[in-house]
Amino acid sequence: MFDHGQPSYAEVNKDVLATMLETGPKYWILLGTTMGVAGICFFMPWFYQLIVGVGAAGMNRNAVWGTYLSNFIFWIGLSHSGTLLSAVLHITNSPWRKAIYRSAEAMTLFSLMTAALFVMVHVGRVWFVHWSFPIPNQMGLWPNFRSPLMFDVMAITTYLTASSIFIYMGSVPDFAAVRDASTGLRRRLYTIFSFGWRGTAREWHTLGWAYTFFAVFVVPLAVSVHSIVSWDFALSIVPGLHHTIFAPYFVCGAIYSGTAGIVTVMYCLRKFLHFEKYIGQVHLDSLGKLLIALSLIWSYINILELFSSWYGGTSFELEALKFRLIGFYAPLYWEMILFCAFVPLLMLSKKIRWSWNKMLVISILINIGMLTERFIIVATSQPRKFLPDAFGFYFPSWIEISITIGSFAIFATLFLIFIKWVPSISIYEVKETLKPLRRDA
Amino acid sequence: MAVIGAFAYEEDFLAAAENLKASGFDNISLLSPLPLEEAQEVLGLGKSPVRRFSLAGAILGGICGFAMAAGTALVFILPTGGRTIITLPPFLVITYEMTILFGVLFTLLGFHFVSGLPAWRDKPYLPSANIDHFVVVVEGAAGEQVARAEAIIRDAGADEIRHVEEDQ
Repeated sequence: MFDHGQPSYAEVNKDVLATMLETGPKYWILLGTTMGVAGICFFMPWFYQLIVGVGAAGMNRNAVWGTYLSNFIFWIGLSHSGTLLSAVLHITNSPWRKAIYRSAEAMTLFSLMTAALFVMVHVGRVWFVHWSFPIPNQMGLWPNFRSPLMFDVMAITTYLTASSIFIYMGSVPDFAAVRDASTGLRRRLYTIFSFGWRGTAREWHTLGWAYTFFAVFVVPLAVSVHSIVSWDFALSIVPGLHHTIFAPYFVCGAIYSGTAGIVTVMYCLRKFLHFEKYIGQVHLDSLGKLLIALSLIWSYINILELFSSWYGGTSFELEALKFRLIGFYAPLYWEMILFCAFVPLLMLSKKIRWSWNKMLVISILINIGMLTERFIIVATSQPRKFLPDAFGFYFPSWIEISITIGSFAIFATLFLIFIKWVPSISIYEVKETLKPLRRDA
Repeated sequence: MAVIGAFAYEEDFLAAAENLKASGFDNISLLSPLPLEEAQEVLGLGKSPVRRFSLAGAILGGICGFAMAAGTALVFILPTGGRTIITLPPFLVITYEMTILFGVLFTLLGFHFVSGLPAWRDKPYLPSANIDHFVVVVEGAAGEQVARAEAIIRDAGADEIRHVEEDQ
């Protein structure tokens, strides 16, 4: 489990808390940069769009859904591995989960927040967004629960709530460790955050039960969330979207991109927070094997999707298929296939699976492929609907491209703030993986 | 008065806890930097009542979710293609999500209720219990109980023993 020998309990506290309590100038420069990029690339163009209207984006008749929705699916997808993987591995009692799950769960939370921002950008008049919730409003309207978009609102709100509670409750014992190691205002804050945790047997016992129940609730929830996102598309009758395979396709793609995202985040934590002692080869190897399995499932579903379109034989499905395979966006389609179906096969080699740098490159390529996949689903379907007079073309405007870039800066900003407020590795769960302190040892 | 004993080794800590229980001390807390099943067994902690909260929340959420979707459909009637007003497939999705939402929220409530957290008053505690020590706290000890508890803790091999006045 540990590449550099087993640390002591006290060392675990010291190493993890040092990443929160000691902050150098590099951190502030990085935080300032990501905040600056988020402000310039995301919020300023969004503000401009709010002033001039959604027409500032490249969406128009024939393609009323564009990059905002493809980014929404991407970020929802990226959120999937964190909480889902953490919950599944908790239930199955997998020890390699313990060092990486906290940051993976944070990834879930921040991806969800970024995804929610895209909904607000997409709807245009964001000040009416509360109309989508079942709360009294001045119009006397309530949402139509037969719409898949309402499924989305309910599913994502539930997922955000459950993921926040899941990560918070898992962090309570570690907040107590921060409380004990700090002074002044920070100590007062963490006294509140930790609820006065002492680590009694009763507290551990209750937390263990509650945490397992959270995990049991979160697993089907995560599967339902991306199934529901897929139904936004699949419940329409648009060629290229109206497939029964879409729910498992989206769920598999979400876990796939999320797992690749975890590899990227783990690389950064290891490199910049010096967690080499805790995040080792066993984690990289396990994640690599998981990625291979997911890439094979993803490839299989892609083949099925092509096959069912072809085998159906309807002219509009064939036209949508042709547009995707050899149309304007075909290079992007084949790039997606290369990055998500072929590049991951390199991980069959143990040499590659054990190399942090190579795995970082592969994980980034997978997520570029997955971002492209979501763009292709949105951008190549609506402009090829049934009759040629409904045909159109969609290309993102500079506003959409800028907001896309800005969303990555928002995610990075949230993550940088997170690592200073929450121990990014679970202190007590890492201790569980160490050999117990026994007199005879 | 609370008697606190800090141990460097798990087995000493567990031995002290068992001896204290065997000597009739019921009001003891066992503090550790990580969850220990053995400590929970010493205190006889079995299945947690948290599970009842989870079940109640899930059932209530399911009922509320369906009632909300069906009630909305009945209040704002929107006929679509001659289909029924209360349509099961889409409403089951809302029911499912609300089942999970309430299940999670009630589990959280259950955690707070059963664990007694947040703690509204200070309780006997050693910060080393969050780092690398295992701590036994005998609460509400008086008179000769203090000396007896201290002797048991010392005999088990405690590194440190303290007496603390408890908040009432």
